[in-house]
Amino acid sequence: MPKHIVRLLTVIAVIAVVALTARWFFRDSSFYRYGHYRGDAPAEIASKLPKHQGSASCQTCHKAIYGEWAAGIHRKATKDNVIQGVVVKAGPGCEVCHTAAGNHPSKEPMPLSVEDQITTITHLKHHTHASNIPGRKLMLTPDEMRGLCMNCHEKMPGRPSKQPQVVIETHAGEELCTTCHNPHSPKIDYNKVPRLVAMKKAGTANPAAGGSVAKNCATCHGASGVSASGAIPNLAGQKQAYLANALRAYKSKTRDNGIMSAMAAGLSESDIDNVAAFYSRNSCKVTGGDKSKIAAGKAKFESAGCAACHASGGLRKPGMAGISASQAWPNLAGQNAEYLSSALKAYQQGAAKATQEGGRYNPVMTGVAKHLSETDIENLAAFLASTNCK
Amino acid sequence: MESVFEHVSSYVGYVYPNETEVPWTELIVIYPYITGLVAGAFVVSSLHHVFGIDRFKTISRFALLTALCFMFFAPVPLLFHLGQPTRAFEPIITPHWTSAMAAFGYVASFYVCLLLLEVWFAFREDIVRYSKSSKGFKQKIYQLLTLGSDDVSPKALEIDHKIARILAMVGIPGAMGLHGYVGFVFGSLKTREWWSSDLMPPIFLLSAVVSGVGLLIVLYIITSKHRKVTPSHEAMVGLKQVLWASLVIVLVFEGLELLEMVYKAREGIETVMALIRGPIWAGMTIQWGLSFFSLVVLSAMMIKNPTGKKFVGWLFACGLAMMIAVLAMRWNVVIGGQELSKTMKGLLTYHPLIVGRESLMTVLMLFIAPFVTLYFATQFLPPWDDSKSRAEGKHTSHH
Amino acid sequence: MIEQEKNEVTENCGISRRGFLGLLGAGAATAAVVASTESDASMLGHKSDKKMGFQQSESQYEEALNNPPKIPNYDWNKHRWSYGVDVDRCIGCLRCMEACKAENSVQEDANHHRTWVERYVYLEGQDEAIVDSSADPKNIENVGSELHFRFDNRYEQEKVEKAFFVPKLCNQCDEPSCVQVCPTGATFKAMDGVVLIDTKYCFGCQYCVQACPYGVRSLNEQRGTAEKCNWCYHRITKGLNPACVEVCPTGSRVFGDLNDDNSPISQFIRNNKVTVLKSEMGNKPNLYYVGADKEVS
Repeated sequence: MPKHIVRLLTVIAVIAVVALTARWFFRDSSFYRYGHYRGDAPAEIASKLPKHQGSASCQTCHKAIYGEWAAGIHRKATKDNVIQGVVVKAGPGCEVCHTAAGNHPSKEPMPLSVEDQITTITHLKHHTHASNIPGRKLMLTPDEMRGLCMNCHEKMPGRPSKQPQVVIETHAGEELCTTCHNPHSPKIDYNKVPRLVAMKKAGTANPAAGGSVAKNCATCHGASGVSASGAIPNLAGQKQAYLANALRAYKSKTRDNGIMSAMAAGLSESDIDNVAAFYSRNSCKVTGGDKSKIAAGKAKFESAGCAACHASGGLRKPGMAGISASQAWPNLAGQNAEYLSSALKAYQQGAAKATQEGGRYNPVMTGVAKHLSETDIENLAAFLASTNCK
Repeated sequence: MESVFEHVSSYVGYVYPNETEVPWTELIVIYPYITGLVAGAFVVSSLHHVFGIDRFKTISRFALLTALCFMFFAPVPLLFHLGQPTRAFEPIITPHWTSAMAAFGYVASFYVCLLLLEVWFAFREDIVRYSKSSKGFKQKIYQLLTLGSDDVSPKALEIDHKIARILAMVGIPGAMGLHGYVGFVFGSLKTREWWSSDLMPPIFLLSAVVSGVGLLIVLYIITSKHRKVTPSHEAMVGLKQVLWASLVIVLVFEGLELLEMVYKAREGIETVMALIRGPIWAGMTIQWGLSFFSLVVLSAMMIKNPTGKKFVGWLFACGLAMMIAVLAMRWNVVIGGQELSKTMKGLLTYHPLIVGRESLMTVLMLFIAPFVTLYFATQFLPPWDDSKSRAEGKHTSHH
Repeated sequence: MIEQEKNEVTENCGISRRGFLGLLGAGAATAAVVASTESDASMLGHKSDKKMGFQQSESQYEEALNNPPKIPNYDWNKHRWSYGVDVDRCIGCLRCMEACKAENSVQEDANHHRTWVERYVYLEGQDEAIVDSSADPKNIENVGSELHFRFDNRYEQEKVEKAFFVPKLCNQCDEPSCVQVCPTGATFKAMDGVVLIDTKYCFGCQYCVQACPYGVRSLNEQRGTAEKCNWCYHRITKGLNPACVEVCPTGSRVFGDLNDDNSPISQFIRNNKVTVLKSEMGNKPNLYYVGADKEVS
């Protein structure tokens, strides 16, 4: 055989050996274990951490709200949890609206899963996915909340007739859903919403015993609850459940105010109920405000939707302005104008400053307050401060 | 809102949401096109090597070089297209044989090796000669390529010739396989009505021959002009015959495929018709228009047997027309198949990017690259018998 | 040691088979045909009593049985997952889509989905449904973002004869065409029935995207690999429901283990007349529908 053929065959042989060795060398050792794939792959895929933790995982910390939800109609999709002959757990859980919990309450990002660690050199243009990033939005702004309710409850061809559906314009106008519905237990039945049940319990409180507790408060809030200064709210004639709620919020520092938190820290559960009962039974007093602003404030009170909650008739029925429809919401009529405007300004700051000294946050109130100008606030405060509270 | 419709193909009717990003783009149009050119060019060179059709002798070695240079770039569009190009060797390391695509690495590397060997044997005598006549770095390369043996005795050349012939005999089924296989990659997919046809492999194969012969005609005429020689009439007539024959068969097959689809009229046939009238209308017009133009011109030339400049001119036009027609056909198949939604209720319209990784610019670059490579290859290994005899002042026959 | 030996055996089998086919490499189509007939004869034995996996040899089946993947508190031989969709209950709220995107880090745009919802609307006097999906440009425009999904109310003023929503996701077929066409072995059918994607091995050729009759696959551009629903394999192996089932507020998505007679899916299939999509494709899907209309495919 000629030399060049021998050499050629040698070259081919060397290349072949190198190629076969490389193929053997680069093959994953777990390949072909269970089939034509890496045997390690199933365990790697299964090792990813779940991001949706289920409603039960929220229960540990958010007991009260979980209780509301568990007792309400959002807990189950059907009356008996039976669907097409199948027993299923259904109904929107916490993460349906609040999105995946991830490793909440940790502030750390979730560890990247095997597949999330994969990147490529070629496809540079892509959208990142936010779910691994800490600081997920677990609470929603009121605007988002309205859209969220409409995700399921907007009247739309195609939705099964059993699904409660509304045409938002005629059902609520510009109103927020949360004005009337507790999203955790949306059926409006004040007797069954746990938070309100707790408020009713306050009815068994002892106002007389509360009177002795109130002696500690008299310096600022006055003996009967008509306060000494415009910056300090009147408590006389205020809704009992609201007062109790506020004190509990101060105590737990979800609403933080140096003096009030310190005061509330020393109160027992029954002290809180009793003192709230005491003030709520006292006679309120109109403090009055800037008369030139009253008319503008009255108009704003109606257009901004304040009347939905803070008027005895609600939005669509005549009633007393500044007297709230629910025990859960405060009366505003006759309240100090200075206090009212500072409260509205605190709400404007929103969730970000909620836990700071003097900060206030409530999804509905913040949503409303954000749309108010400084003049609006002063007008509103003047109007409410001058309104009859009885 | 700006990003909303970015990189999304617009559509009518209903398509699955994942379909709005077309998976196989213009890079997968150019890939079967380039392999097709390879297959066609190789077939022509084999006609001489295997069947001893002497009229192709003049262009046989040029056809071989053309096939090699285009084959180098055949897998490149795929590399550009992969989501993870660094893992490109996985189907070779662990080929999953139920996949039509698993064999690609093997088929392609087998074919590159085969072409390299063919070229080596076809040019070995020249290489040995250049290794002595040239100088410097170039000489080093020629010397390396001789594998340290300058044995060009008639006996050695006889053995070379025999091996080259065997290789070419292996190469023909190889070329057929390579391209029939590309047709199988598309035709074996049951999900795409536009692809799922048993005629897909033969159509791909024959259109490959058509485009490859077209390319050779174009290149041969251009290079002849460039070298200021008259193209061999014999070879041109041969190319004309091959082009005519394969064009006739491919048109019949393509016609049958369409006819069957329309006649069977399965669910969604209205959408198929809308596809032809809509998104790929221009492509279909180019494909069928140029094909019929070439068929008419070629048939006329088959009957009248023209000679001289007139013949060269018309044949050039036919070759170029078929190159374009086959490119349009690849577009109609690859992109058209994906523009027809799997729902059979909707049609997408694919808009290629102009600049980017997967874009028309990349396609253009990838299509120019083989021509540039071919230019340098012909400088390095001149394939023309006349140039060799002119340059060396002696006539060598390697047969 | 035993495990290692077994690996060698299977590897050697693989090499000899590939070596043989390598010779045939010239005719790639031939090779594929040979491989598939060989598979038919010896590998696709999953219809026998042994319940072997898709494209699994006997030795690999034994290995899967005796040495299952090391997933804590989970044995893939003990489960056969299945999924049901009750079309009549779906309200098209798309919480499933958003949950899926978060849970699985799916690209957050309108072109990549592991699951989606389609809306079928028959207007009065029309025989054919008008279909749109959650990713329809008009719906995206209505929301103004590709991060959130919601159907617009475009038929509010129309006279609608019949309308319904149909959730779609991976069917985890018994004869998955995506696995059939994967050239590398980056996608495969696990013993518990779920078709998985090995993102460490996929090289992004998108042949599987083409091959899936249900359009559930896409290319994740960030990873450069194929993307597909795996019924939240990381959740179901921990005893949880897939994220979409977890968040579905109406219970129109049902999931469970066919090996357990009392699981929701067993009851769902037993108590209803179920259908599958595109049965003519021969993929043998494991996703069952109740109430799917004729136009749903």
